[in-house]
Amino acid sequence: MTIDILFIWTAFKEIIKALPITLILTILPLLAGFIIGLAVALIRIYKVKFLCRVANGYVSFFRGTPIIMHIMLIYFGFPLLIDQISTKFDLGIQSNSIPIILFVLTALSLSAGAYLSEIFRSGIISVSNGQMEAAYSVGMNSFQAMTRIVLPQAIAQSIPNFTNIFIGFLHTSSIAFIVSQKEMTGAANIVASTNLKFLESFIAAGLIYWGLTIIAEGLSFLIEKKATAYNRGGVQ
Amino acid sequence: MIYLKDIQKSFNQQPVLKGINLKIGKGEVVTILGPSGSGKTTLLRCLNFLEKPDEGIVQVGDIQVKSKKATKREILSLRRQSAMVFQHYNLFAHKTVLENVMEGLIVTKKYKKAEAKRESELLLEKVGLGDKHNYFPSQLSGGQQQRVGIARALALNPEVILFDEPTSALDPELVGEVLSVIKAIAQEGITMVIVTHEMSFAKEVSDRVLFMDGGVIVEEGSPLEIFNAPKEERTRQFLNRISRDFSVSFLEERAN
Repeated sequence: MTIDILFIWTAFKEIIKALPITLILTILPLLAGFIIGLAVALIRIYKVKFLCRVANGYVSFFRGTPIIMHIMLIYFGFPLLIDQISTKFDLGIQSNSIPIILFVLTALSLSAGAYLSEIFRSGIISVSNGQMEAAYSVGMNSFQAMTRIVLPQAIAQSIPNFTNIFIGFLHTSSIAFIVSQKEMTGAANIVASTNLKFLESFIAAGLIYWGLTIIAEGLSFLIEKKATAYNRGGVQ
Repeated sequence: MIYLKDIQKSFNQQPVLKGINLKIGKGEVVTILGPSGSGKTTLLRCLNFLEKPDEGIVQVGDIQVKSKKATKREILSLRRQSAMVFQHYNLFAHKTVLENVMEGLIVTKKYKKAEAKRESELLLEKVGLGDKHNYFPSQLSGGQQQRVGIARALALNPEVILFDEPTSALDPELVGEVLSVIKAIAQEGITMVIVTHEMSFAKEVSDRVLFMDGGVIVEEGSPLEIFNAPKEERTRQFLNRISRDFSVSFLEERAN
């Protein structure tokens, strides 16, 4: 078997058309996860009655099971649920009219929320207690102290971790193709099997993922440098 | 002005404050001395509820709070009567020197940004840091950071400023610059409660000295009374030990 170098370029052009879907599958879940994660982290740190247990269970389950499982459960489970509710209340919604991408986005958002909540939690805990006390001593309430003093520092310090999660989810979005959502890996698979050139297609897809990751790392480095400038010491 | 009644506090069933009663008048400068573990820092932190007393009444300015039934709102208004200077400075790490001083004015005093800026610049001038507005705390020496801490406390124009061992984390050569700033504001008639290990500073600056040991105020009086004619045995022992340490370290320094 020989490798058809030229076909890598052909496949590349074909696969990159699915880039928008891959980006949607990466960025939207992370945005939703950002909000879920922050809320869950705060609930767990402040040990909010009842909600704290729900949050613990949520994080434990979603970090304790593979993401592919979440996609499967939601892809096969939600339609059942939606159809039953729909017939019961006569809503006229049919599960098979819901685009697949919504199921995938829901599953990925829930997973991202669980992972990000631990990053928020560690970031918040890493800010010294003295910062909170100083905020209280100038007369701030807990909300002001959290939003003005603790969170900005916690988030700035967590940037490398956020990047890690971003890269992880960029690659995880590839498993959406098992429920026939055509993102980049799905596209590579189609190009590969129609042309019977598997190696070339997956090399092309790999190069795109790698390129995206390098861009993400570069951006992260710049943002981190700017956001944590306060911590670097030395003289201006 | 400040009124404490029967303040009690334990950590893990270990009593740290065993019923403190105290009155401090407006404009008074009170220093609290005592061996470590005597509860002096805890007492100071009870004044702004960074430590919640188990028992007793805390009053600062017009705000009186019963420890047991303290609501969030009460604690907040009690805290707004005071400001604190911390042993480890605790400047807001992600904010510049100027922003650190402005923060309280903007958030709790509802100043306009320009107003807060003007006010803060004056205060930084006063503590000798007029040229460091845009530095981050991490770029300053300990002494400079602590002076920013003092400016941040002054900005709030509080009823009382609480100093929690303001020079204990500083290099010996930086202690002087911080103490002289504190002395200068003491002369302006601001009420201050200072926990310190700097005996000569306490002697010089205070109107009244409290000596604490084992969670109670053992003795109180003017600096003259406490340092020259302590009535209690425990106070005498403590002061002897301190002055012996002092003279030994002084001799060592001479020898080197």
